[in-house]
Amino acid sequence: MALLKPDLLFSITRRSIGSSQVLGAYWNKDWKPGPYPRTEEERVAAAKKYGLMKEEYIPIPDDGDGAGDYPQFKPYSVQGRDPHYPWDFPEYRRNFNETMHENFNMYTEEKWNVEMKPRWPMRYMLAAFLTVMGGTYYLATIGKYSAFLPVMPKHLPAPGVTHYKYQQNQN
Amino acid sequence: MGNIQAGIDYKMHPDVVPKPDHKSNWDPNYGFSSKREEKVMIATEEELHSAKISLQDRDYCAHKLLDYRKCYRENFPWIMNCGHEKHTYLNCEYDDSTNSEFICLIQLCLSS
Repeated sequence: MALLKPDLLFSITRRSIGSSQVLGAYWNKDWKPGPYPRTEEERVAAAKKYGLMKEEYIPIPDDGDGAGDYPQFKPYSVQGRDPHYPWDFPEYRRNFNETMHENFNMYTEEKWNVEMKPRWPMRYMLAAFLTVMGGTYYLATIGKYSAFLPVMPKHLPAPGVTHYKYQQNQN
Repeated sequence: MGNIQAGIDYKMHPDVVPKPDHKSNWDPNYGFSSKREEKVMIATEEELHSAKISLQDRDYCAHKLLDYRKCYRENFPWIMNCGHEKHTYLNCEYDDSTNSEFICLIQLCLSS
């Protein structure tokens, strides 16, 4: 029980859980953002609530599509973050108590990478695509009747169509 | 089975070698001394529709297919009893396919 020294326990709880906003929320309604901050005091309180500095806190614009006092920042993708850093949540590459983007579920590892840098420029890739597909189409077109089974289509009865056997009438 | 030869023939002489997926432009009685025998469709549209025969099977052997399906249904699970019907149907299909044009040019040459 040497590990469970009171000061160690205290420092763990104090640093990781005890000082976080997580303990202040119990039910899903408690995770809802507050109303849009109008005054300077409200802005400071909201910034403190989300663990941001006063200068970097910009709420999502209240244009009818906003999210109360939730902070707005440039989206980042999970794919774009350092995979070797010891994240608290390696599957989301996210640290405990880190403020998440409003649409975080759009930017997880298997979804959209907003910071993706294509290996080649877009018009180069388009030109390669069109070359390959057009070349294949051209080859298929010029080779269409280069080899085929020498059989005419099957005779299916249809109104107004007469099919013949290869026997002649005896009369 | 002559696929490449047919392709070469078509590329060399596109005016006489027919395309495989097109209708022949020749007169059906061209080269025959008398008129050719016409194929007769025996099964009616209502029969085929009520028996749920699929569209690609509604050919000139469909009445034999109807017989085979009927026998199959009556004898199930002793479907060995329908061997005769099945044989008749498949033979009819074979004859029908060799009666489709072009392959039978060989037969024509042999018979003349």
